[in-house]
Amino acid sequence: MKNYDVVINHKGAVSLSVVDYILHHLKSFLNHKVHDKITRKRVYTLSVECLENIYRHADLKDEDETLVVKYPPRFIIEKISESFIIHSGNIILNNNISDVSERIEKLNALEQDDINDLYKESLSKAEISEKGGAGLGLIVMAKTTGQKIRYDFEKINDKFSYFAMQLNLKK
Amino acid sequence: MNIINIAATDKTPKVTLNTENNTFEMQGNSRPENVRDFFYPIIDDLKKYFEKLNEEKLEVKAITFNFKLDYFNSASAKFISDILLIIQKYANAGFNIKIYWYFDDGDDDMKEVGEDFSEMISYPFNFIMVQR
Repeated sequence: MKNYDVVINHKGAVSLSVVDYILHHLKSFLNHKVHDKITRKRVYTLSVECLENIYRHADLKDEDETLVVKYPPRFIIEKISESFIIHSGNIILNNNISDVSERIEKLNALEQDDINDLYKESLSKAEISEKGGAGLGLIVMAKTTGQKIRYDFEKINDKFSYFAMQLNLKK
Repeated sequence: MNIINIAATDKTPKVTLNTENNTFEMQGNSRPENVRDFFYPIIDDLKKYFEKLNEEKLEVKAITFNFKLDYFNSASAKFISDILLIIQKYANAGFNIKIYWYFDDGDDDMKEVGEDFSEMISYPFNFIMVQR
């Protein structure tokens, strides 16, 4: 039986203080339980990018707030032996689905060397959005895991869907 | 004199630019709550510093950039690349600039990202491994 741990299991609103709390907890777990420095750093890197994405895109208007209760943001880290699975989920506007899935599909079709080239190219071209994102998060995720990004959209209504993403980090 | 003098916090790095020894240093972690508010003033001050040197034709033997980062998020990477593009511009204009990229022993990813940055601006970095 492989060694299994649920490192983080968060369901609910993600504010800056929640991000800080989760990262603090994660850091202490990694420092105590994960010997390999690179794995520690990679799990942390992926977690920051996922949590910042959830935080930045939590931009529902007041009238949509009830949806959050039913479809709360989600951030879960599982450790299976020396590998990690990071799940994140948040509500997304249906209008943004095609953009997000195109970006992920593009990354999933690339080899690791091409992802590294795309990262370098994107660094100098990136523009910082009003929300503070550089559009580099998904590229960093693909670069850091070296694995395909798994994702799914579940339709909630005509305006919103739930976006679920899974990152696999193998040692 | 430090024309940039920012103390480190849990989420933001220590940043200094000393005009006596012409040394810029960035050290620690970077995932600021508002990445633009944090980096724009640094980038402005750095540009002004170079413009002053350039206009006044001041003799500077060498300008040193020390990057001693433990962790930075993707939005910070964008701004670090902006800083490097400023360095590239003035290196191309003839300034003697040395870039030192520090990384912890075993943190190959931090070394690799330094190599990516170096390739991006087509300018050599000096890599320094730190034992902890």
